[in-house]
Amino acid sequence: MHISEGILSGSVLIAGWAGSLTGIAYGLKRTESEKIVRTALISSAFFLASLVNVKIGPSSTHLTFLAPMGLILGCSVFPAVFVALLLQALLFHFGGLLVLGANTFIMGISALSVYILLGKFIRESEKKFLTFTLSFIAGALAVMLGTFLVGLFLGLTDGNFLTAAKIIIVAHVPLAVIEGSVTGFLVLWLKKSAPEFLA
Amino acid sequence: MKVKNFLIGLACVGLITFCPNIIYAHGVGFRQSSFRSIALEFFYSTGEKMSYREAKVFSPKDEKFAVQTGRTDEEGRFAFIPDCAGEWRVIVRDEEGHQCEAKIDVKDVNNLDVKTPEPEEPLYIRALLGVSIIFNIAMLIYRRK
Repeated sequence: MHISEGILSGSVLIAGWAGSLTGIAYGLKRTESEKIVRTALISSAFFLASLVNVKIGPSSTHLTFLAPMGLILGCSVFPAVFVALLLQALLFHFGGLLVLGANTFIMGISALSVYILLGKFIRESEKKFLTFTLSFIAGALAVMLGTFLVGLFLGLTDGNFLTAAKIIIVAHVPLAVIEGSVTGFLVLWLKKSAPEFLA
Repeated sequence: MKVKNFLIGLACVGLITFCPNIIYAHGVGFRQSSFRSIALEFFYSTGEKMSYREAKVFSPKDEKFAVQTGRTDEEGRFAFIPDCAGEWRVIVRDEEGHQCEAKIDVKDVNNLDVKTPEPEEPLYIRALLGVSIIFNIAMLIYRRK
């Protein structure tokens, strides 16, 4: 889901940085001091998740954990995504430094959106099946939203990228199903073992 | 009608006889060359090969238009023949937005001595370093709060 360096136009890069810096500033302001270690822990999980390859046909992609990040961190998700993506760019060569703003915005807003849309319902749901279903939707929705935004950013740069954007969205449907399942089981476990972890 | 057909036939015979280069415009052939090429391997940071990905070669003479385009092979390999000294760029990208740019400094086209980059630290070391940095940043923010 990372966009590489040298693909996006200058105006799209600036828009990405503006969006991500706003999110980071808001996230840092809203992060309480007792939740900083939790934020670091989830940021580390997101940083390492990129190393988990998922084979899909002839191609492969990697896990994102966007929905669990959003559901656990809430508004603090932007700083966590930014630090993890910065280190992924420096240490694993995923994405790049100039495009970091756009990548942070894409992943941060996807995670935050599922928290805003479904976080409250997931926290309050008492039936296991309903919790799993809502969490599954959150997991899949975060991936699809992220891929849609990748497509949108590519499309805004160059109309020819729209075909590529369609391929990206279709290629990520299996990942959305996998992430939905992972999110479902993870949230069920969290609600049973550590319900205070959900933002 | 017969006269017309006769004239058309005569024109064809005339063309073949007197203008064979027009009729047989392009002959083809091949020979084994002794040019030296630069072969590169492209891969993701997870180690997976960038198989069958779009590749473009940019000469130092023209940085905007690719002098060669093609695709990597199954093993993620791509080769090109530089014809001038300078920095050559090879860009390989996939359909998901990943892009790898190789910059090759060619000093002498007759003596292609390309330096291979230093191997990086193992992946698990970089992963541990990343996690360590994240917690250090968290501690810095915690102290400031």
